[in-house]
Amino acid sequence: MIKVINGGIEILVEDWPGRIGYMGLGMAAAGAMDNLALQLGNLIVGNDTGAAGLEIAGGYCEFEFTAAGVISITGADMSPTINGSNVPLWEAIAVKTGDKLKLDHIGEAGFRAYLAVRGGIDVPVYLGSRSTCLFGSYGGFEGRKLAVGDDLPALPSDGTADGIAGRKLNPKYIPAYTNVWELRAIPGPNSVPDYVSEAGMDYFFSTTMKISHNANRAAYRLEEVPAEFWARPDGGAGGSHPSNIVDHGYNMRGAINVTGNTPSILIADGPTLGGFVCVANVINADLWKIGQGIPSRDKVTFTAVTVADGIAARLERQAMFEADDLLIG
Amino acid sequence: MSKYDVIMDTLPPLGDRPEILFRQAGDGFIQVEYGRVQRVELLDSFRILAADTKIKKKNLTGLIETLPSLRANMIHFDPTIIAPQRLIDEIKEVEESISGVDDMVIDSRIITLPIAFEDSQTKLAVELYQKQIRPNAPNCEDGYNLSYMALCNGCTVQDIKDKLLTTDWYNSGCGFWPGGGFFWPMDPRAKLNVPKYNPPRIWTPEGAVGIGGACLFTYTTATGGGYQLFGRTIPTFQFAMTHPQFKDGPFLYRPSGDRIRFVETSEDEVISIFEHVHEKTDYVYKIEESRIVVKDYLAFLAQDDVVKGAAEFAASQAKGMQIAPKL
Repeated sequence: MIKVINGGIEILVEDWPGRIGYMGLGMAAAGAMDNLALQLGNLIVGNDTGAAGLEIAGGYCEFEFTAAGVISITGADMSPTINGSNVPLWEAIAVKTGDKLKLDHIGEAGFRAYLAVRGGIDVPVYLGSRSTCLFGSYGGFEGRKLAVGDDLPALPSDGTADGIAGRKLNPKYIPAYTNVWELRAIPGPNSVPDYVSEAGMDYFFSTTMKISHNANRAAYRLEEVPAEFWARPDGGAGGSHPSNIVDHGYNMRGAINVTGNTPSILIADGPTLGGFVCVANVINADLWKIGQGIPSRDKVTFTAVTVADGIAARLERQAMFEADDLLIG
Repeated sequence: MSKYDVIMDTLPPLGDRPEILFRQAGDGFIQVEYGRVQRVELLDSFRILAADTKIKKKNLTGLIETLPSLRANMIHFDPTIIAPQRLIDEIKEVEESISGVDDMVIDSRIITLPIAFEDSQTKLAVELYQKQIRPNAPNCEDGYNLSYMALCNGCTVQDIKDKLLTTDWYNSGCGFWPGGGFFWPMDPRAKLNVPKYNPPRIWTPEGAVGIGGACLFTYTTATGGGYQLFGRTIPTFQFAMTHPQFKDGPFLYRPSGDRIRFVETSEDEVISIFEHVHEKTDYVYKIEESRIVVKDYLAFLAQDDVVKGAAEFAASQAKGMQIAPKL
């Protein structure tokens, strides 16, 4: 269905919600970094929200279609063209054999684009998911990022493709992209008064932090917190630094894990267990924003919310996917 | 009360049960923590596993998975299906049903793993570390880690090997790396302690066995790592799932509760077993279904020879730690 002519920076097969249920055996869920863009892309081409698509980080890539079909491009705008002509994002596009799709570099905002194909990308299901875990080299397409010459088939889809091409996402539902990402987060499990000081949590929830160049599918590292962040001099039996703790399971995806004085957001391929504190958790409905943050350029801010707020945001997202006016045309 | 307060609910201490804290950890996670003090105590892990088994037996709709560790259990759930407080109430009910250690019985298999000490592959890992990462690392002085391990513990290299072979090692919970278990000595006389590599290695062979702190790890695939290496065992993980032991999943270990027991063998034998697991797929793992009856285990810990031996070893460790160079 789709053959790689130029593999760009990092193209991966990912689905949603990923490989769920294996955290206790040391396997992270992996899955799309921007699950919202992937799910919307799937709905546009008539797939289930979680079908496997291509996650394109950083742009600069080219594909050739080896079969006719229907695709959508969502996420960051990388000025896509087919056979040299501009094509829109958030819209179902019919492609024919031999068509060439090219994506340019990233634009003003957003780091990852998603390519959904009608039927979904067909790679073997490994432990319940087609997602690639890049850090463990398993799942997806041979456990790796795509390279020149890889040719990925699409699964057959139910029903006819008639009328799907041209279908668009209602513009009011197109996610807003920015360079300062507001992430709603819930404090815990390691917070005041025993681990972090009140002033430390205030700092965390009021400081705009730049995303480090060292940001990938396992962890988005941020700027260091000051020494006053901590409520204790050391980690006791866990270790010498106050960020140390007796090893515990991580609230992954979305944990704000602090190693030394460096906070990281643990995401898709991140560790499932370790010996450092987790001071907060990005709510499930905001996980998608992390994947759009541009390393060493964009910033994040954290807004403290309650568990009830997080659940309400999930329900709001579910309602959006089911809205009558989600798609037009 | 702070606006950052995270304790959603508690169960007070009762008999030998520590206080149990329910900590919020996001809109899809709750951490159940046992006691307020950071401690390394297998009894906490036994309680967690006894409770974890009962929680899973409830088949709660909306419970996705659990991640037990030494003194906490991370509960992953879908809050649009099961409300957090409802989940907490269900877990509290389980905890209330376990009144004391006498009630704690844990399903725990015993897996026998052949090990070759000082094999060529872990030696190669140490050699590469010295070449590429840290020349003259004090933990690699004679080209391997065993002498440093002996120095840290105030004993001989042979003592280290004997201790590794005589105790069963208990898995408090897999994590960090696919299929990797965190194993602790059941016999306190074998409670070795060593600092981790600083900085870590970039390569460790599949099957390597190492210790960091008091914890033992069998490397499931080739990866980086920071534990002090002393030998190589047989495969404990298989991505391809071609061997019958791995037909339902790539993991040898269950998420928690297994014990492993090492038997010494030659490197040739370990290499041959690798072939019989990964290529010929006809190696038969030695796995015995068993249980840990916690009150019996506590009686073992209270035996005079165990108490005395553990105290003596702790004293020699304290001396060793004073003279061993820091990493």
